[in-house]
Order: sequence, then structure tokens, then C-alpha cells
Amino acid sequence: MSATGPPRRARLELLVRGKDGGDGFEVRQIGSGVAFIQSRPQRVPAGSFELAEVASRVDGQHSFILKNTTTDRFLLLSEPEKFLWEQMDGRTSLQHIATAYVLRYGEFDFDIIPQLIRKLQRAQLLTMTPTSRLRQALARHRRQPVAKLAESALFALERINVSSRNVQSVFRTMYRLGGFVLFTPAAAVACLVLAVIGLAAGVRLWPDADRVVSGFGKSPLLAVLSVKLLFLLTVGAHQLVHGLALVHYGRRVREFGFTFLHGFVPTFYVDVTDIFMGSRRARVITAVSGALVHLVLGSLWFLVALQASFGSFLQAFAAASGMIQWQAFVVALYPFCFIEMDGYHVFVDVLGIPTLKHDAIAYAGAVIRGRAPRRFTRQEALFASYIVVSTMSVAAFVAFNVWLIIHAS
Amino acid sequence: MGSAADTLAFLRSVRLFRNIESRELGILADSLRERELKRGQILLREGDTGDEMFLVRSGSLVISKAVTGRVEQVLARVGPGDFFGEMALFDRSPRSATIQADNDTTLLVLDRAALSKLTEISPRAAAAFFESLVLIFIERLRASGDLVAEVTRWGLEATGLDVDPR
Repeated sequence: MSATGPPRRARLELLVRGKDGGDGFEVRQIGSGVAFIQSRPQRVPAGSFELAEVASRVDGQHSFILKNTTTDRFLLLSEPEKFLWEQMDGRTSLQHIATAYVLRYGEFDFDIIPQLIRKLQRAQLLTMTPTSRLRQALARHRRQPVAKLAESALFALERINVSSRNVQSVFRTMYRLGGFVLFTPAAAVACLVLAVIGLAAGVRLWPDADRVVSGFGKSPLLAVLSVKLLFLLTVGAHQLVHGLALVHYGRRVREFGFTFLHGFVPTFYVDVTDIFMGSRRARVITAVSGALVHLVLGSLWFLVALQASFGSFLQAFAAASGMIQWQAFVVALYPFCFIEMDGYHVFVDVLGIPTLKHDAIAYAGAVIRGRAPRRFTRQEALFASYIVVSTMSVAAFVAFNVWLIIHAS
Repeated sequence: MGSAADTLAFLRSVRLFRNIESRELGILADSLRERELKRGQILLREGDTGDEMFLVRSGSLVISKAVTGRVEQVLARVGPGDFFGEMALFDRSPRSATIQADNDTTLLVLDRAALSKLTEISPRAAAAFFESLVLIFIERLRASGDLVAEVTRWGLEATGLDVDPR
């Protein structure tokens, strides 16, 4: 029988000479564990990082977003982790930091410091290209030719990425040449007026919906697809406005481009992560401003549909475009759909739980496997509500669109 | 200093000379010089020049390499029957490490002239010597690889550096 214990910690043998420079010396064995607790971690200098606070309204906890301004990487820190971060001044050893932690919180979690150090070393909180579950499933069934073919096709599409990281100056110029108008009170009022007029137009068209869509003639499905294609271009406008909002709040647009999300969803995207370091107002306005593009365009399309002659192709096309734009507006701002869109970001920002979807899905998984915690706190209630409402919302959205297509056909 | 018989007996116990006949070993023993070191005394320093190798007859020494300031890394400890400094016999390069006595020590010194003499008198004995030397070199090379791995592990553990690609 062999004894199995934890792996032996590495030791280093050092020879230290006397201060007098003579022949005397002393040999010391330094274990890596001792070296670790005596090390003095030093955070990057002030000016190389920014720290922003996020307050949770559910459990009253505060979390913090730490940004490395040199690498543009973000990290989510809990309040105790932020305390530890502040101790890492290059003069205080981990042993003393741990002591300070105990004095402050009255307890010590032996994993928190190594975990925080690992987080700080990685500093990769945000992943721009998450691995989709579809891709994971395909990878698992790679032996089957169809799955392999699909995976190869998605991989090829996923590699299509037309983007630039040098877009800040372009967005600044666009902002200076008129983009700033979008962030004035006059623009907000105009948007509101257009929304009301568009809604009125939509309401007037709705009773005659059958006659309106008859303008598509004998190939309604093809017409709906062309409407969707045109809509794709407006997603670009949506992202442009997000970028302009960043400039408005003095933050940096890190990237703008076009790609196939998960390998099959064509989309434009803009990297707005720098807004995390702005105020909550800035984050909310940046998120909402992009979605408002769809509200405005939808209203305009409804007005066009109202003015066009009844039963014409133009009227059908405009009405369908108005409908899809308004759907996009609702979907973008609706937080309960398992997709982290603008409304979701506003919602989690207000709640102060940036990882709501991830945590809720993990909680649902734990419930299914019978490993959920017995205590049902406000947080668990929130997770459960998010899962239930999101599932129902997605089902309703799919059903509505199926009904629309069947009705149009 | 020990008698010639004692020295011969000692040399027979040294792995380096295991395959050398007594007569040739006796010739080699006549060429060796003895050197005494007090505890803590430095025999040679990193960067010194020399053309001698040393056999540890009694006592022990610490072989170290400068790291920073007064701190050096211990590369090895040598004791009775071990040898060191052999690189200088061949490449005439400066000493690669500092060697100091860990306690009172007696060494036997083999210089290049003595080795040349052995090669001249008995090429077969010289060949046996070099073969043993090569085998011990290989062992030391492997040991230095292990040391690099141990130092790397120490560095990872001491800094908490996370290199696990999760």
C-alpha cells in the first residue's frame, strides 16, 4: 500500500554569504510555500488601471470592475477582492495582506488570494467570441460525417471577420460631424414624437393587415427574407450609434466589425466594453441608444406604409420592415431572452449582478441535478424568475413569428 | 597527509577510477597533491581560472552559483569519493561555480600534467578514466535537467503563476 499525500512543495537551496564579504556563509532551504506568502505583489501603477463600482440591488453587495488601461482587459472583483487589490502595493507581503484581511472581515478564505492572483494574471474577464453550445455538441459528434461537415462549415464562417481595432478616430469624426446631435434633448423629443406617430400609423394599418401583406403577391416568403436582409444593414446603424455614445461619454471604441456569430448569425458588432468604466447613466444611455435606431426606423417604415397605396408591394414591404424593426427594438431592450442584448445589460446593471444569465443557468442546472442549495434566498428567486420568464418569452417570440409567416402565407 | 597505501585504497573506492589497474592507479596516485580546507573556506570562485580537478577525500563542499548580491544558488553538495572541477581540465574556461568547504575537508588535486602523464604511460587506463568520466557527465546532465524542472516548479509555486489552460 502506498501513501498518497499532497505533492511535495518544491524547495530551493540558497547560499547566503556574510555581510563582511569573508568566507562565512549560511545555506538556507526556502520552500515555495514560504516564498509565496512572503512575496509582495504589486499592482500596475496608478493611471494604468481604472476601478468602477457596481452596486447590487438584490443582495446589497458591491462589486467592482477593474480595467487595465494598457491592455484594455476587464476583471470583475468582489468587495473583499477589491480590498486585497488595494493592499497589493509592492511593499506588503501576502502574509501581511492575509492578516489585514482577517482583521477586516474576521475570517479568512484560504483560496481567495491565490484565486485573485490567478484572475489578475489572466485578466481576461470578457470573451468576445464565446463557444456556443451548438459548436460543443457538434464537436462531441465529430465522428459523424454530417456533424463534421456542419462543424467545418461553421468554423469557416466563424473565421469570416471583417473588423478594425483602429476605429476610435473614425467614430470621433462622425461624432464631430453631426453624431453629437443624437445625444441632445431635441433628438430625444424627436424620437418620442416619431415613436408616437409610428405607433399611430401601425394601429391604423393593423385592421387592414391582410390587405397590406397581400401586396407581396405570390412569393411572400421571398419578400419577408428580403426584408430581413435589409434589416441586417440597420444592425450596422444600431452598432454605429453605440459607438457614438461611447465617444459622447469620453470612452474608447475598441473594435467595430462584421462577423458570423456562432458561425451562422451574420451580424455587425462594436466593442463597447470601455463603457463599463463610465457612470451607470452612461452605460444605460449607450445601451438604449442603439436600440432606438430600430424604433425610429420602424416608425418611419410605418409612416411610409400608411402613405403608400393599399395592397401595393411598397406598402407590404414597408409594413413588414416596420414590424421587424419594432420587433428588433423590443428584443434588444427585453432582458428575458437568454441573449445578452442591450436591455439585458441595462437590467443587470440596475440589479448590480453582471453575471445574471450565467449564474441563473448554473442555478437551473443545479436544480435539475438536485444539487441546488436548500436555502431559497432573493438571489435564487431572481435566478429562477429569470429562467422561467426567459423560457416563456422565447417560446412566445417563436410562436408569434411562426404565426406571422403562416398568416402572411 | 595519508600514506601512499591509504591514497591508493581511497582511489580504488572512487567510481572514476574503478576500471583502472592498481599499477596504473599507483602511478596516478603519485601525481596527486593533497589540499586541506577549513570549514567555510572558499576553494575557488566562479570566474577563476585553473586546470585542476579535485577529489574529495574527506569532508564536504557546497557548489554554488551567484544569483544576486550575497545570495547564491546551491547547485550541489559533494562528499567523500566525489569529484569536481573536471571541466577546467579540458576547456580552460573560467570556473563556472564557486566551491566552498561545508566543514573541514581534505582534497586530492589532479592537474592537466598528471592526466597527460597517465595518457602517455597507459592509454588503456586513460580510456577507462574518460569512459567513466563521460558516464558521470551524463548522470550530471540528467541531474541538472531535474534541477531546472525543480527550480521552475519552485518559481511557479512561489509566484502563484497560473499556466493551466482552463
